[in-house]
Amino acid sequence: MKKRANFLFIEKNDDVYTLSMTPELQDDIGTVGFVEYTDGETLKADDAILSLEASKTVFELDSPLAGKIVERNTAAVSEPTLLNSAKAEENWVVKLTDVDEAAFNQLEEA
Amino acid sequence: MDQEAKLDYLIEYLLSENPHANKEIRLDKTNTAEGKIALFRGLCNIRQPEPVSEQFIKVQDAFLTQWNNERHITTLQELEAVHPQLYLWQGDITSLAVDAIVNAANSKMLGCTLANHQCIDNIIHTRAGVQLRLECDALIKAQGRKEPVGKAKITNAYNLPANYVIHTVGPFIEERGVSPLKEQMLASSYNSCLALANQYQLNTIAFCCISTGEFNFPNQRAAEIAIQTVKKYIRDTGSTLQVIFNVFKDEDLQIYQPLLAGKE
Repeated sequence: MKKRANFLFIEKNDDVYTLSMTPELQDDIGTVGFVEYTDGETLKADDAILSLEASKTVFELDSPLAGKIVERNTAAVSEPTLLNSAKAEENWVVKLTDVDEAAFNQLEEA
Repeated sequence: MDQEAKLDYLIEYLLSENPHANKEIRLDKTNTAEGKIALFRGLCNIRQPEPVSEQFIKVQDAFLTQWNNERHITTLQELEAVHPQLYLWQGDITSLAVDAIVNAANSKMLGCTLANHQCIDNIIHTRAGVQLRLECDALIKAQGRKEPVGKAKITNAYNLPANYVIHTVGPFIEERGVSPLKEQMLASSYNSCLALANQYQLNTIAFCCISTGEFNFPNQRAAEIAIQTVKKYIRDTGSTLQVIFNVFKDEDLQIYQPLLAGKE
């Protein structure tokens, strides 16, 4: 199941929720030149996942959901333009578990 | 030292710091008092955030105090609320004696570096004094990266009649125009400033029209978002903040008046 919120896609596979870039977000920020993840193992809703500097803006990407971080797309730190990719396997941002399924279900369908 | 003598001292100091200033700024026509102010302002605008002597600060503060107070200084008591807790005021935001004024900054957050540029970031930094850039520079260095859009930082206001300056970077609108993300970023700037004002237990905050100047956000839509966001914040948090919408241009005054008069 796939939802969208905070200009991100959220895809649920079993208990893992993968957040990735939407085309609208990519268009709005331009070419990404710098990515820095925040520290910490958990996120609350609206906590910053990462800071990025792109050709059109400097932006903090906030999580639409609370959860435990199981994986970050660290490849995007060394190669920031991965976040401009059209492929979800390249432009994903973070994978979460321990997400409240009810909160996920309330989000807009993608 | 009278004002002109102070200016002579300040200009000489700034020129000695920056011998190549003449490449960035026109140094001619500086015999009049007005010309000297323009030169002083331009030199401060292009000045790097480097340490400055105590004597410079002393003379600068004396000059700015007088220069800033030569104008009528407006307080909240002189204004009449157009809606509970909401005020509309047209004028130069640097002449407001309120707890905090909001500066429309950019992501470098060092203040406008174009000599004598007519933007709010420039006049706020000019009239506050060179200390403001030094404080902003320290904040950005501590943060370790540029300031994101939609957040806010608070600093002293130095020689301004306000107590604090809250700096926020609004969204920049390019050819593609306003998008839902840009609208959310603008609302986020307002919310971040309000939250910071509450955190500092301030009573009064004056907003400029964030993103509408150099950042090309359409004025009407920006005003709608500004008012909606502030009203929603007050409703949701029960904040007792008194909020002034400061407009500079007649165009913005005419946009805000009916919006604020409208029932909601």
